[in-house]
Amino acid sequence: MRFRMPTLALLVFLLVPGACARKPAPAAAKMPAAATMPAATTTPVAATTPVAPPPLRYEVRLGKVTFTHYCQTCHGESGAGDGFNAFNLDPHPRDLSDPEFQKKKSDAELADAIQRGGAGVGLSALMPPWGHTLSAGQIDELVLYLRTLPTLRKPAS
Amino acid sequence: MPLRRIFAVSSVLFLLVLAISPAKNALRSYRSLQRQYRKLGSSRAHSLKAAQAYTARPVAIQQIWLRDFDNRVDRCTTCHLGVADPLMAGAPRPFDLHPGTPHTPGAFDRFGCTPCHGGQGLATTQGDAHGTSADAGPPMTPPVFIEAGCGRCHLSESVAGAPVLSRGRALIGRAGCYACHAVRGQDTFRSEAPPLATLPVKTGGEWVKRWLKDPKSIDPNATMPNFHLTDQAIDELSHFLFAAEVPKELASRIEAAAAEPPGTPANGKKLVSESRCITCHTIEGKGRGAAPELSKIASTASRGWLLAFLREPQAFNPRTPMPRYHFSETESRDVVAYLEDEFRDFDAPKEILEPLRVNQTLAENGRKLFRLYGCFSCHDPAGSGSEKFGPELDGIGDKRAQSLDFGRRTDLTRTLPAWLAAKLDSPRSFADGLKMPSYGFSADDSRAVITALLALGAQSVPERYRYAPPQKPALLPGGPVGSLIQSYRCLSCHQIGDRGADVSTAPLTFEGSKVKRDWLVDYLMLSYTLRPILEERMPVLKMPREDATQLADALQNFYLDPSIPEDPFAARPVSDADPVEGQRLYVGLGCRGCHILGTSGGYYGPPLTEAGKRLKPGWTYAWLKGPQRWRADVRCPDYGLSDTDALRLTAYLETLRPAASPAKPGSAARGAR
Repeated sequence: MRFRMPTLALLVFLLVPGACARKPAPAAAKMPAAATMPAATTTPVAATTPVAPPPLRYEVRLGKVTFTHYCQTCHGESGAGDGFNAFNLDPHPRDLSDPEFQKKKSDAELADAIQRGGAGVGLSALMPPWGHTLSAGQIDELVLYLRTLPTLRKPAS
Repeated sequence: MPLRRIFAVSSVLFLLVLAISPAKNALRSYRSLQRQYRKLGSSRAHSLKAAQAYTARPVAIQQIWLRDFDNRVDRCTTCHLGVADPLMAGAPRPFDLHPGTPHTPGAFDRFGCTPCHGGQGLATTQGDAHGTSADAGPPMTPPVFIEAGCGRCHLSESVAGAPVLSRGRALIGRAGCYACHAVRGQDTFRSEAPPLATLPVKTGGEWVKRWLKDPKSIDPNATMPNFHLTDQAIDELSHFLFAAEVPKELASRIEAAAAEPPGTPANGKKLVSESRCITCHTIEGKGRGAAPELSKIASTASRGWLLAFLREPQAFNPRTPMPRYHFSETESRDVVAYLEDEFRDFDAPKEILEPLRVNQTLAENGRKLFRLYGCFSCHDPAGSGSEKFGPELDGIGDKRAQSLDFGRRTDLTRTLPAWLAAKLDSPRSFADGLKMPSYGFSADDSRAVITALLALGAQSVPERYRYAPPQKPALLPGGPVGSLIQSYRCLSCHQIGDRGADVSTAPLTFEGSKVKRDWLVDYLMLSYTLRPILEERMPVLKMPREDATQLADALQNFYLDPSIPEDPFAARPVSDADPVEGQRLYVGLGCRGCHILGTSGGYYGPPLTEAGKRLKPGWTYAWLKGPQRWRADVRCPDYGLSDTDALRLTAYLETLRPAASPAKPGSAARGAR
């Protein structure tokens, strides 16, 4: 019995530092680990936005910016060839959101047509060549975005 | 005996305790992640050797030493193993390849991760590194606000590749935040809010009360925020505003204008539509929305004030972006008659424009309120002294959530972005007695503003990385030309160097090298639509000939670019065949897809029917050699033309003249198509 108290004291002394190892604080427990990244979606800012379209990858978003700036006027917002300048063009721009068309063309062919223009690939010269205006990277991003057009198609069309 | 037993037990315990730290380290989640990465890498590798390289990777902490950022160390790549590995495109988090940005994958070694993403680079657990543990340092910037990271180094208002940040910064400027909040580099900010001295003769007591209640309910374009004033405060403020002493000169102008005979609304209607008011104003939802909505203007301002203002807007508000139109006396009467007829609020009570009988006691209380709410910050900045009304915003992006006052808002998550969002949305909800008004930002606008605010960091970015694009010199002459540029407010739409607003597609910096003088004089006197697709078109300012000539001469003399040749044909004289070859190029390149020529062509670029009358050949040539050199976002593609082809096309375009002064090849071109 005589040695029990010191042993206990020693045990406690040794175990206390172990028990003091850092535990996640309760505040952190409230925020699940997954919430760190999409924390923004839970802030009031985003909460009020209407149903958000599925997020596009960064490169695809860059492609979309390029598309909106340079291509939309003729090819239309959805790529259907119905931009407001399209009716001035004969032949009309084709429907880029057509899955059949997309299946036929490889990424390299699409990039080539953008780079060298219609005249460069034996089509209408009204599609200008963009190889001197856009960088190769921008054209690749553009192709990535073009590939998403069939999925963004409205079910009605 | 007992002593031995004690010794044995304590030795075992001691060993166990010693084992705690290595055991914890061995169980760290990054170790298992690194083992998973080995497997993932070897399964994705294209060759046996590459697969072996993945398997042979040691399990260890990875780090990037940021020499330029206070010798910080980023260990994020301990878990985010594939950020620079092209094989990891599309791999699951945390192994995926970092998206391509202007700085990745090229500059991982220099910038690491935390300078853009924030968070704790030194930590080796997810909670600490991302800043979600209670005792971790400032957390990472949530991905929706990621462009805040760009803004730490890129200091200009508009940052290429960061549209959200740029929009946020523009919104902060337009909302006038800098009038009350100090931000480095914005000391010279002045609000465009009108001085209030002529208010008693401009509008009525009822209108002022409605406006103070909620400015946006009267004018959706209003930049003035909603101060959520009580009815009593509104009453007192109105009395204070009507007690102002109207400058005698302006008062007599307004009085004289009010006594003028009425004009003809039908003619006014014609003038309003041809003056392109909607380049800045909106009329029933149509227009750019940078200036007040005009649909109810006749129920906002008295006839006399409208007339006097229209004749010289800058006398009423020296900071107004509105140009001076040179309407004749009758014409301005006609315009106002049309406004009085059609542009009124038919639901408003008749007495909306009746002046308020001032009660001095109420006005005295109003004066105190005017100071209390900081109204002077926008409406009378000279009278406010150097002290800013609100707290300074520098460093707000690095504020710790623990140091923010959430007050009554116990519903919010304790993060800086959530706090900022609530401050923008309902600033008075935190406590009683707060004075910040609400701006009614949409969710998207609010996100942009928060992004711009999070970019205002306290942590220093090394000097060599702080980037503001070099200021292009803006030559603004004084004297008579300077006052013409002032009075026609060219800079409200056009840029000269880095000064002025980017509304027009035609900066004036090299206008003298671009257009021919005679065309310019005609255009200034009677501007017409060059680009029909644009809503923002040059207003018809009714410039008198002497003003137009003086301005055109100044543009021709001052605003030149030495790299644009005066005569592109100097080295290689133009031959008869050149315009013909040029026309062939015009057709072959598909220029008609975007440009109108004669009666057909696209609707996108400016019509070229009069190209030879409008454009200097040197400019045409310089443009054809690289349109993006003159404005980075120009849509006209660079065709990579050879010098000869560019000269031939220039020679062809030079022959294009309006029908009245036909030049042979031009009319031939029209006949052919």
